[in-house]
Amino acid sequence: MKKTKLGEFEELVLLTVAVLQENAYGVEIKRELEDRLNQKLSVGSIQSALKRMEQKGFLTSMFGEATKKRGGKRKRIYTTTAYAHRVLSEIKDIRENLWNSMPQLVHDLKFI
Amino acid sequence: MNQDSNIKLPKWPLKFLRFFVKKEYLEEIEGDMEELFLENIQQFSHKRARRIYTWEILKLFRFPIIKNIEINYSLNHYSMYKSYLKTSFRGLKKNMLFSSINIVGLAISMSVGILMILLLSELNSFDDFHIEKDNIYKVTTSRVQGMSGNEVHLSSSSFYIGNQLKESVPGIEKVLLMNVNELSADLRTAKKAIGINGFYASASFFDVFSFKLLQGNPQSALTNPNSIILTKSSAKKLFGDTNPIGQTIRVEENADFQEGIITGVVEDPPVNSHMRFDVLVSLNTLEKPVINEENNPNNTSNGLVYVVLNGHTTKEEIENAMATIMNDYNKSLEHPITHLLQPLNTFVTSDVYNNGMGPMFSQRKINIMLGLTLIILLSACFNYTNLSLARALRRSKEVGVRKVLGANRFQVFAQFMVEALLLALLALVVGLGLFFIIRPEFLNLPNPAAIGYDMFSLEINYINLLYFLLFAIGIGLLAGFQPALFLSKFKALNAFHDARKTKVFTKGINLRHVLTVFQFTTSMGLIICAVLVHKQYKFSLNYDLGYQTENIINIPIQGGYVDLLENEYAKIPEVVETSKSSWVLGAGGNGMSIGMVMAKENPKPAPFLLNIVDDNYLNMHELAFLAGSGFLKPLGEGQSPNHIIVNEEALKTLNINSPEEAIGKTIIYNGAPLQIQGVVKDFIRIALTKDIFKSFAFVQTNQVEQYKSLNVKIASNNITATLKKLEEEYKKLDLLHPFEAHFYDDQIASVYEQEKTTYTLISFLAFLAISISTLGLLGMAVYTMESRRKEISIRKVLGAGMRNLTVLLSREFIVVIFLSGLIAIPITLYIVDTKVLNEFNSYRIEIGFIDSLSGVAIMIIVGALTIGWQIRTAFVKNPSDTLRNE
Repeated sequence: MKKTKLGEFEELVLLTVAVLQENAYGVEIKRELEDRLNQKLSVGSIQSALKRMEQKGFLTSMFGEATKKRGGKRKRIYTTTAYAHRVLSEIKDIRENLWNSMPQLVHDLKFI
Repeated sequence: MNQDSNIKLPKWPLKFLRFFVKKEYLEEIEGDMEELFLENIQQFSHKRARRIYTWEILKLFRFPIIKNIEINYSLNHYSMYKSYLKTSFRGLKKNMLFSSINIVGLAISMSVGILMILLLSELNSFDDFHIEKDNIYKVTTSRVQGMSGNEVHLSSSSFYIGNQLKESVPGIEKVLLMNVNELSADLRTAKKAIGINGFYASASFFDVFSFKLLQGNPQSALTNPNSIILTKSSAKKLFGDTNPIGQTIRVEENADFQEGIITGVVEDPPVNSHMRFDVLVSLNTLEKPVINEENNPNNTSNGLVYVVLNGHTTKEEIENAMATIMNDYNKSLEHPITHLLQPLNTFVTSDVYNNGMGPMFSQRKINIMLGLTLIILLSACFNYTNLSLARALRRSKEVGVRKVLGANRFQVFAQFMVEALLLALLALVVGLGLFFIIRPEFLNLPNPAAIGYDMFSLEINYINLLYFLLFAIGIGLLAGFQPALFLSKFKALNAFHDARKTKVFTKGINLRHVLTVFQFTTSMGLIICAVLVHKQYKFSLNYDLGYQTENIINIPIQGGYVDLLENEYAKIPEVVETSKSSWVLGAGGNGMSIGMVMAKENPKPAPFLLNIVDDNYLNMHELAFLAGSGFLKPLGEGQSPNHIIVNEEALKTLNINSPEEAIGKTIIYNGAPLQIQGVVKDFIRIALTKDIFKSFAFVQTNQVEQYKSLNVKIASNNITATLKKLEEEYKKLDLLHPFEAHFYDDQIASVYEQEKTTYTLISFLAFLAISISTLGLLGMAVYTMESRRKEISIRKVLGAGMRNLTVLLSREFIVVIFLSGLIAIPITLYIVDTKVLNEFNSYRIEIGFIDSLSGVAIMIIVGALTIGWQIRTAFVKNPSDTLRNE
C-alpha cells in the first residue's frame, strides 16, 4: 500500500459520499454523518475535508440542480473516484487483517 | 407565501463569506449555508439561527476554502481604457441633453474655480522673488492708543527697537529701517518733471529685499544723505536714454529735502510685490531731529522695521528678545508696548494691522470667496450625481450586458468613472472659455484694499494648466463616484428581467432630495444677499449727509497756487462760488488730520477729526448751525487762528451742555486758545462705514499748502464746456499734475466701491447658482416626464386636464422650494445682519419682508418656467404616439 494520506475524518466523509451516491452534497453529507456519529459537525470541517480530498483525487464533483431552499444556488454533487474505492478497500483490508490477527483471548474475555 | 422572502440572511457574515471564499466554491457553499439556515430557522428561534449561521461562516475560514490572493496579470490595460473612452463618448453623444446640461453646469462652476485657482496662486506668489523670503519678517506693534482704551495693531514700530535688534539680538542677520510714510513729491530736472511716490530706506535695503539694482552699488547706494534711487521707468521718464547716475535733481513739494543725487537705478517692483515705489531715498536724508525722535521707543507709528533671521533662529526667540528689550521702558508706561514679528507671506493677506502698506487682500475675503466657489462647485457636482442616478434605470440594461459579457464590478465602475472624467474635462474646456469672458470683468472690479495697484493679472501659465487639469479630474471623481458606485452594483440578472424593481430612489427623503434642497438653498441665500447688499448700497448713496453736494466739483490741488486759481475761477461766469478745504467731507482724502483738543477748564485732550477750511466752506455746503455762525473772514497773513467750529458730538466730549452755551467758550488746540465760533448739527464725516472720531472741528489756516481741495459750485447747462474752461485755467498754473475734477456725488459713490464690488460678486455668484440649479431642475423635469410618459398619456386619455397634470408633476418642486426657503431665509438674514451690514454701524437698512422673500420668489419663477415648459411639452404630445408602440 502506497501512502494515501487519508485522515480518519476524511475517511468518514469519503465513505459518507460513497453511501449517499447522487445525493452527496455538502449539507446532506453533514446531516448523514452527524446522524451516524451522533455529534455536531461544522460546515467548515466537512467542506475543507471535501476540498482537500478533491485535490488529492478521491473525489470529483459536478453541479446539481438548484432549489428554492438554497436561494437559487446549485448544489455540488460529489462522487467518489475509482482510486478512492481502491484506497478505501485497501484500508478496509488492512483493518480486517489486523482484526483477524488479533489474539482470540480478547474476544473470549468479552464473553465471560 | 413563502418564508424565504421575509427571512433575511445576516448581511455582514454573508458579505464576509463572499469576500473570502474561492470563487468556484462560492455558489455551493453559499447555497449550503442558506439551506442550513432555513433548516435551523424551523428548529430554533430566528436569532439563534442567525447566530449559528454567523458562527459557521467564521468556521469556514479554512485554508482549502479561502481565496488565493489574486494578482491581475492582464497587460492590456490600454485597450481596455481605450474602449472605455470610446463607449463613454458614445454614451455622452447618445444623451445629448443630459450631457450638455452637465457640461454647461460644470463649466460654469469651473470657470469660477479656475478664477479662484489663479487668484490663490497669484496671492501665493506675492513677494516670492525675494531670496530671503522665508526669513524676512516685519516688526509689528500692539499697544493701547488714544482715548478709546482699545488695543491697536500697527505694522509699524519704532526705530529704537530696530536698532536694538541690530545691535544686541543674536540670530538676526540684517535689519532694514524704513519710514512708514510714503514720500510723495515732484522730481525736476532742467528739462522735465514727474510726480513720484517712494520710501526712505536705510542702506541695507538691497540686503533684505531682492529688487534688482541695474545701476549703482547695492552696498553704498543708500548710504549717504540725499541719495536717490530711481526705478527704471521713472529714470527713463526723467532722463531718457542718458545715464542718470550722479545727476542732481530737485525735489519739490516736500519738506524734508530739496535736492538729491541719483545713485542707482532699480528694476520696477513687480506686480507681486507688497512694496511699490518710484524712488528710494536714503533714510538719513530725513532731518536729524526726525531720526532722533525715531529713536524714542514710544514712537511706534513712523518706522518700518524689516529683519532677516538666520535660518535657525525662530520667530518666538526674537519676539521674546524684543519683550526683554522693551521690559524696562514698558514699566514707565500705563499700557505696555508689544512687538511681534510678521512673516513675509502674510504681508498681503493680513488685515490685522491698521497702517499696513501696499495692496491687501485679506484672508477673510479669500475664505469667503473660497467658500462660495466650493458651494457653486458642489452644486454643479450634485447636478451630475442627481441626473446620473435618475438615469440609472435606463442604464441598468447596459450594465447587465457588460456584466454578462464578463465585466466585473470594478470594470463597470471604471467605465462610469471614465465617463464622468471625460465630461469633467470637456467642461474644463468650456469653463476655460467662460473664464476668459469673466476675467476682464473681474479685473475691472474696484478693489479699494489694493489702493490703486494692480494686484492680479490672472495670466495662465503651464503650472496653472496642470492645476486646472488636476482640478477637473478631482471634480470628475467627486461627481462621478456615487453614480458609478451605484450603477456598478446592478446584478446582471436583475438588470434584465427585474429592472423595474431596482430601487433607484426610495420613497421619502433621499440623497437626491437633499442635494436639490442644498442647491436651492444656496441659490436663494445668494439672491437674498445680493438684494440686501444692493439695497444698502443705494441707501448709502442717497443718505442725507447733512450738507449740500449738488453741483459741486472738487478739484485736487497740489501746490501753493490755490488762491490764484480761485481768483481765475471767479472770473468764469458759470462758477457760482468756490471754497477751499483740506479734504472732502463724506469722501475723505489725504488731507484728513486728527488733532488733540481740550477744554480750557478740563485739560484732558481728546482726538478731534479736523478739516481745514476757508471762510466760505460752511456756507457753500449749507451745513446746519445749531448756534453761532461760520468763519467770518479769511485768516490774514501772520495771524494765528482764534476761532473754531465744532459739531454737536464734540460738545459731549468737551463737557458743554448746550450749543448756545458753547459759543464763545475757549478751547485749546495745538497749544493755542481758540474760541468756539459756531456749533453745527452732526453730519456724516467720512463715510457711513467709518463712524470713528465722532468729535469734529473745522479750523482755519493761512498756510495755503494745507488746502488740498478746491470746491467749485457751478451753474451750467454745458458741463463739458465749463469743465474745459476750468481745466484751461488749471493747466496754466499746474504744469505737472493732470487736471482732475470730481463731481461730489461721484466721489461719495466711490467711497462705497467695496460694497458695489461685494454686490457685483454676490449677484454674479447668485446668477451662477441659479443657472446651475435651474439646469439641474430642467434635467430632473425632463427625466420625470420621460419616465412617466405613458402614465401621463393614459391620464390624458382618461380626461386629466392641464391643471391635474400640473399639480401631479410640480408637487415635488413645491416641497423643495418651500423647504429651501425655510432653511435659506433665516440663515441668510442672520449672516447678512451680522457679517455684511454690520460695517454700516447704525446707518443700516431695514430688512423688509419683500427682501427676505426675494430669493424664494425668483426661484419659484425660474423653476415654474422650467417645469411649466416641460409640462406643456408633455401635455401637447399626442397620447397615441406614446401609447401606440410598446
